[in-house]
This record gives sequence, C-alpha cells and structure tokens, in this order.
Amino acid sequence: MKIFSRVVIFLIFLLLIFFCVLEDALSSSALQDLQNDCARIEQLSLEKDNLRDIGLTLAVDTLEYNWTANESNLCYLVNHKSIQEVGVEISKLKVYQSENDVKEFKASLEAVKFYAHSYRHFMGANLHNVI
Amino acid sequence: MLTIILRSIIIYIVVLFLFRIMGKRQLGQMQPFELVLTLIIADLATIPMAEIGVPVLHGIIPLLTLVILHFILTLLCRISAKFSMLVSGKPVIIINPKGIDYKSLKKLNISIDDVFEAMRGLGYFSLDQVEYAIMETNGKLSVLSKSSVSPVTNENLKIHVAPSVVPINIVSEGRIMKDNLKEAHVSEEFIIDFLHKKISNKAKVKDVLVMTIDKNGLVYLQMMKGESQIFKNVRRVA
Repeated sequence: MKIFSRVVIFLIFLLLIFFCVLEDALSSSALQDLQNDCARIEQLSLEKDNLRDIGLTLAVDTLEYNWTANESNLCYLVNHKSIQEVGVEISKLKVYQSENDVKEFKASLEAVKFYAHSYRHFMGANLHNVI
Repeated sequence: MLTIILRSIIIYIVVLFLFRIMGKRQLGQMQPFELVLTLIIADLATIPMAEIGVPVLHGIIPLLTLVILHFILTLLCRISAKFSMLVSGKPVIIINPKGIDYKSLKKLNISIDDVFEAMRGLGYFSLDQVEYAIMETNGKLSVLSKSSVSPVTNENLKIHVAPSVVPINIVSEGRIMKDNLKEAHVSEEFIIDFLHKKISNKAKVKDVLVMTIDKNGLVYLQMMKGESQIFKNVRRVA
C-alpha cells in the first residue's frame, strides 16, 4: 500500500505537469490562431471596398471555424464563461459583414483582437495570474 | 441536470480516492494541517459540481495539488522533528502533580471549563483523580490517572489469564466472509456442518446474523431469528 501510494503520488505529480503544459500550449496556440485570423481579416478589409467580398467572407468563416474548434478544447481547461465573448463578437462580425457596415465591422474586429490579447492574462502560467 | 449528476459522481470518486491515498488518519485524529486540508478539499469539491461553466479539471487539479503538498508535508514531518513541531505543534502538559498549569492553558487559549469537559469525556470528574493531563497536537486530551484511583489489573493481583484473542467474523448477515476464512483456519464446509450440528439440519448460512470464531475455539453465533449462543472449545474441522 505504501509503495502504491508513492507511485500514485508520483503519477499525480506527472499528471499535474502534463495539464500545466497542455493548458499553456492549447491557450497559446488558440490565441495565436485568433490573432493571425484577425490580422488577415483586417488586411483584407483594407484592400477590399465591399465587406461582402468572397475572400473576406471566407476569412471570417475561417476565423469562426478555428475559434469554435479551439474554444471546445479550451473549455476542458478554462472557465467557459470567461472565453465566450469572442464567440459573441464573431457572430456580430458576421452580421455587420452581411450588412456591409464598415464602422461596426471594424469595431467588432477590434474587440476580437482586444480579447485575443487580454485573454493571455488569465490563460496559462504567468505572475499576474498567480498574484 | 445529467451534467451535474455526472460531475458529482466524478468529483465524489476523485475525493474518495484522494482520501484513501492520504491515509486513514484523515478520518480520525487530524493534525492542524490535515484539518485545513480537509476543509479546503470539501470546499473545492463543491465548486465544479454546481457550476457547469467551470471545467471539472478546475476542481480536480487543486485537489491533486493539495494531495502532493500533503504528501510532502507528511514526509518532511517524518524526517524532521523540528518541522513536525512547527507544523503540528507539540503536546502540552496542562495538569501535573502540582495542579493545573495556568500558563500552558493561556498559551493554548483554552479555559478551565474546557479542561473539565474533556476530562469528563474521559471519565474523570474530579481533578484529584488526575496525575497528568496532556493536550495532544490533534486537540485531544490524554489523562494519566493517579495510581490510587487507577483500576486494578490482573498484573496487580498477580493473576494468570489466557492471552486475549481477536474473534474473527466468518459470517455476517447471511454471507460468508471468504477473506476471513483463511485467517480463522476454517472452511465453508465447517460453517455449514457446524450449523447442522448445533442448530438444526435445515439451518442455512443465509439465516445467520453473525458468527465469529477465535483462536481458542470460542464461537459466537446468532441467527437472524433468535438469541445469541456461545460454543466453547470448538474444533476447526469440517
């Protein structure tokens, strides 16, 4: 029993390390994807006159698809309520795009970029979170 | 609803498992740091149960971390007596042959009434019965009574008695305790044969409430219906 307990304690220790690394890797990759997608949309929106452009539509769809996939993985590790704003903002982004509302579209894109930046503060390991 | 049920089951199993690997001391005499740990675990376990937005891992990971911490603290306490004293404190004598040590009571922040209450719990109603009383690190009082009021033992009277033996439970509520049979050096056939001989030919194991046997061959038997019976010098052969 004593040896079993020690083995279990060691396995728990390894498991904790695994979860820490996994959380850091998943959150970094998800937020990096989000920032990259936003940068691409921003670039395309500057190049195109019409927000309903097929290239821009595809870029927004990619943003939504990537975030949905990453969000479902992050939900295992992060409080779901803390990351739901991005999903809401992407939905708004799609509506503004279909209405060709450039001003609101840009505001919404800025909001997504802001979340992508600010989420880094509570995801993964850093001194701010610890204190 | 199903999510909450499943989460509760997961957390319950994890907490149960953690308490098992932390050792049985958790359930009884707890040291201060063990009490703190138990309180935190109880609180942490409830968060992911009720909050669906919070991942189950947010509840499990702190629990696992606390177990690791507990293991390290226990290990350090075992290695270093000084560290153990720092974490758990040390036993304090609060009553000595001269009387109550009021300074120690003040240090421990307990009143005379608390001492009396703890003494009464141990069966001592008067201070003159107590030679020493020690407040243990787990908050329990240990009392050494004065020799004039200590119960007389066989050793005092110089009486030779047979060594005490532990009775082994071989049948409980109609079920044969298979794990105990080997320890008791009996077989299932022995039990059935014993019932047929001592109770009736129709007696079955499922009608037995409890049956124990000890090293000296003393059998305690009580059927579901009926009074208990004691059989001495039973030979353990089927």
